[in-house]
Amino acid sequence: MILVGEQVALPPSPVVHRRFEEHVRATPDAVAVVWSGRQVSYAVLDARANRFAHLLIARGHGRGAKVGICLDYSIDMIVAILGTLKAGAAYVPFDPAYPPARLRLLLGQVPDLALIVASPATAAMVESAGVEVIDLDQLADQLAALPATVPDVRTTGDDLCYAVFTSGSTGTPKLAAVRHEGWFNLMNWLQLEYGLHHGSHNLVVSAFGFDLSQRALMTPLFCGATQHLMASRNFDAMLAHRMLTEHDIRVLHCASSTLYLLVDWETARGGDALARLDFILFGGEALKSERLTHFARRPETTCTLLHQYGVAECTDVATSYDLARYRPGEHDVAPVGRPAYNTSIHLLDADLREVEAGQYGEICISGAGVGAGYLGAGGPENAKFTTIDSAGTPLRLYRTGDRGRIDDNGELVVAGRMDAQVKVRGMRIDPVDVERALGRLTGVREAAVVAVHNDDGEAELNAFVVPSDTELAEDDLRTRLLRTLPRNMLPSRFTNIPRIPLSPHGKVDRAALADLCRVQGADNDSAALTGTRP
Amino acid sequence: MTADRVRAIWCRELHRDDITVDDDFFALGGQSVIMMRIQGAFIEELGAEVPMDQMFLNPTVASIAAYIDTHAALTP
Repeated sequence: MILVGEQVALPPSPVVHRRFEEHVRATPDAVAVVWSGRQVSYAVLDARANRFAHLLIARGHGRGAKVGICLDYSIDMIVAILGTLKAGAAYVPFDPAYPPARLRLLLGQVPDLALIVASPATAAMVESAGVEVIDLDQLADQLAALPATVPDVRTTGDDLCYAVFTSGSTGTPKLAAVRHEGWFNLMNWLQLEYGLHHGSHNLVVSAFGFDLSQRALMTPLFCGATQHLMASRNFDAMLAHRMLTEHDIRVLHCASSTLYLLVDWETARGGDALARLDFILFGGEALKSERLTHFARRPETTCTLLHQYGVAECTDVATSYDLARYRPGEHDVAPVGRPAYNTSIHLLDADLREVEAGQYGEICISGAGVGAGYLGAGGPENAKFTTIDSAGTPLRLYRTGDRGRIDDNGELVVAGRMDAQVKVRGMRIDPVDVERALGRLTGVREAAVVAVHNDDGEAELNAFVVPSDTELAEDDLRTRLLRTLPRNMLPSRFTNIPRIPLSPHGKVDRAALADLCRVQGADNDSAALTGTRP
Repeated sequence: MTADRVRAIWCRELHRDDITVDDDFFALGGQSVIMMRIQGAFIEELGAEVPMDQMFLNPTVASIAAYIDTHAALTP
């Protein structure tokens, strides 16, 4: 099975900052960035970014270089990003909200890092990198002496624009590199498909290290709109909601978990700033649609909710689905929809052959968004980028490791990870399927299911439920689950917890849950030892 | 006393009653989603708007109560 996205011609050089520069010429006085009571116009932002680009080039960090950025959200951050791109270099975000040990690990993973842009508030976090750390404020005099004009750099669609660390749920984080063509294609698709324009003002609510944050940062500048940044290092629903209420913000990009928190905030405290946005683009993890149902059905909700799927390795977003079309009764899970422009979704078997219509297969992505691979990884990791024969022509694609199928309406449905399937008593089970069944039960606010291996090496499913009201009894959950799930899929243990732990990226922290299972297992063992058994 | 009221909110949201004013929020099993609920409770029960960044910088009952007393206007 293959889903082919619409073919839409890109300019000969699909280079992201060239589109920003077109807006600089067309609307130089339009507001580009608002942050902490300050604002800069397109023209002023462009001049500052040009000067920074000239500085990088003068220091030998031009085309092909990699520039680290460890800054809090600020106008300087946007200057550093645009200046890096204008120099022909690619930027690597280092999130100052990360714990120092994680930052040190990430810093050691970037091959040939040119330098790091930091501020007095972040410089100490990156000093272990062994590369030069610069501060735009300290360089103000030097920068002022450089030309404010666009530097003459010949960048192509194949040049790298940014590289982000993937979550590394399997161990060491990997640095996925993205090309200008892919990023340009992504934002061009969002702009044309959803009609984003110079009034599609944006607020960034996600953490800087996240791949979707790169899109959130650049899309308004790609469309000629205004970017609003919060003076906050950590996600802050209170400040975010205040910004939405006080400013004319129309668009949000966020992880699904972040959207739940914003929805909860507005639901608990009133207001309609979130409900009246034009677009919320969200995804990045299995959707718990029950967390959005009430919000989506409120009469004042006029916002289009776009449920999206993609991977950092293929420029962030590959498919999109308007959640208004989701009918919980008809669909098992909310689809993630159809491909972006110039993008195809292939469902392949283990031998990279297409599966039959309606069958499950590994989701593979081809087209403009396929990235340049992992930086600094010469080994097996890059084998996930492969080339297949497509009607006689070679086609480069990326194997996501996600499992999916195409439904009757031609929409992609994601069903979890290929390797998340575990054999429980001989049956292949994806814990996410169990999670969804639990999430649909009355009285369950949220659920997570992890597979852990017991002392005999056998996989067991452990369920964690967040009750919406009173604590849920194990027998009751079992009885009700049995109405929808085969017996083999029933978790062996149920635990009520006040909330599901989240990773720094806002996704369900499965490792933490697995640890919790081990702790509980140990407790049970010690209980058994002190018990009445001989 | 602000500290007493803050401590009561922490105990409720962290589901434990053995919290002292110098215990670290994260050592008590706290995480950002709980912090957000506490942030909401500060607004509703203390009339104090405390940014998340300040909650991270002041991870004990004593320090966040001091922050509230100094920076955030309390409504009785």
